Amino acid sequence: MLAVEKVSRIFQGGKAGFKNVNLSLEKGEVVGVLGTSGCGKSTLLRVLSGLDENFEGEIKTEANDPNQAFGMMFQEPRLMPWLNVWENIVFGTGKKDKKQEAFELMKTVGLEGFENHYPKDLSGGMAQRAAIARSLLIRPEILLLDEPFSALDAFTKMQLQDLLLDIFEKHQTTTLLVTHDIDEALYLCDRVIIMRGQPGRIESQITVEAKRPRKRGDSYLAELKQDVLKELDFTKE
Amino acid sequence: MASQTEAAVRPTTKKEKTTINPLKSNVVVGSLLPVTLIIIWEMASRGGFVEPHLLPAPTTVLEEVITMAQEGELWGHIWITLYRVFAGFLLGTGAAILLGAATGYIKIVERVLDPMLQALRAIPSLAWVPLFILWLGIGETSKITLVAVGVFFPVYLNLTSGIQGVDRKLIEVGRMYHFTALQQIKRIILPASLPSFLVGLRSGLSLGWMFVVAAELLGASEGLGYLMVFGQNTSAPELVIASILLFAIFGKITDEILKRIQTRTLKWQDNMENAS
Repeated sequence: MLAVEKVSRIFQGGKAGFKNVNLSLEKGEVVGVLGTSGCGKSTLLRVLSGLDENFEGEIKTEANDPNQAFGMMFQEPRLMPWLNVWENIVFGTGKKDKKQEAFELMKTVGLEGFENHYPKDLSGGMAQRAAIARSLLIRPEILLLDEPFSALDAFTKMQLQDLLLDIFEKHQTTTLLVTHDIDEALYLCDRVIIMRGQPGRIESQITVEAKRPRKRGDSYLAELKQDVLKELDFTKE
Repeated sequence: MASQTEAAVRPTTKKEKTTINPLKSNVVVGSLLPVTLIIIWEMASRGGFVEPHLLPAPTTVLEEVITMAQEGELWGHIWITLYRVFAGFLLGTGAAILLGAATGYIKIVERVLDPMLQALRAIPSLAWVPLFILWLGIGETSKITLVAVGVFFPVYLNLTSGIQGVDRKLIEVGRMYHFTALQQIKRIILPASLPSFLVGLRSGLSLGWMFVVAAELLGASEGLGYLMVFGQNTSAPELVIASILLFAIFGKITDEILKRIQTRTLKWQDNMENAS
């Protein structure tokens, strides 16, 4: 689905960005990228999404229409403040025939009845739901999520993680999730990639064997978390 | 004492006050101070504390306005002044949109054009008058041009800074959808810079009113500004005050129209005014 070969993007004189990243995603796979801040994981998403074009290496996708290859959801909702929820969700499609689909999506993310609200009247969680719906409406081949829930409170975060699980189930969206929340990565992803260093490199990979939906307090996930922490050098002997 | 008189003079508003909460009605609260001052002024004039040939009573001013309106001569003056302001406003705004959009969007235009416009902006308004009269004659063209110059700068500056201040994060959303330059402008940059543009329109309009006075004071045979000069030359302060009053009224009305448009189109803004 997605093949990233020897991609590097370095700035600030080699002190930031990432170097020599190889990565491949199967169709329908959910892959998490974990790393401490400054390891270039957000930059990786910006490069993949086409927002940052100054990179070296090769990015291949199987998408027929390159315009629809990537959908991106940011850390902040980034809704247009002058459009109401409905207009924000259909923002960027331009086509009228998506109406039914947009309506379905709005139901999925639980925003039914809020069509006419402006972003200023939404809570952080609701705004992020609208952003999820917006990024899914164009039916991207690969959904890129850049720390999508890091600004939300713990409970809203869990709700939206479950919403994402529903969406993965329903749409089989290939997803690359950048996060610094280990629990989130282990709860959602098939595979977790760990990045370290400045500039960042892929340090290791952990496959999460458990089937979704998983239990949040699962002892298997707790063990994996220990492994991840070790990889990231956070465990004390 | 003043408040007692007020209650006696305006029993009808007193009644209104009980039906619509007086403290919440902006009109009532906003008129308290001017009404009080006018009453004091009227009493001072009647009591002979101020010289009537310097400051005539409000009733005298009002009578003057009514007489002129009845004789029909007032309407011509009001009409021509309004015409000059609107024509100048449209012209200035049009030019500001063209140049402001160009400097806002295109870096090279900004670097070429902006320094010169900033320098021109520093020229005091009245300094243009002789030149415009020389170039364009003392007819309408020179006056409208002067108003347009006044309107141009605030609209231009606000539009440019509005466009340049558009959130990069929102533009990135457009890039994710592979918007063309035109789509970016239409769907993101234009609506995002609208608040700043409307602020520019309002301050442009108020400058337009200021410049029309300048234009009419210095060379006109018609208009509210001319009426002021005429009042000065014929030692008729009521005429001058009446003109000032009319300027205030029309300035306020036109600003109110723009303000309504502003509140209506910007109801999505998350600010103090829209807080419910």
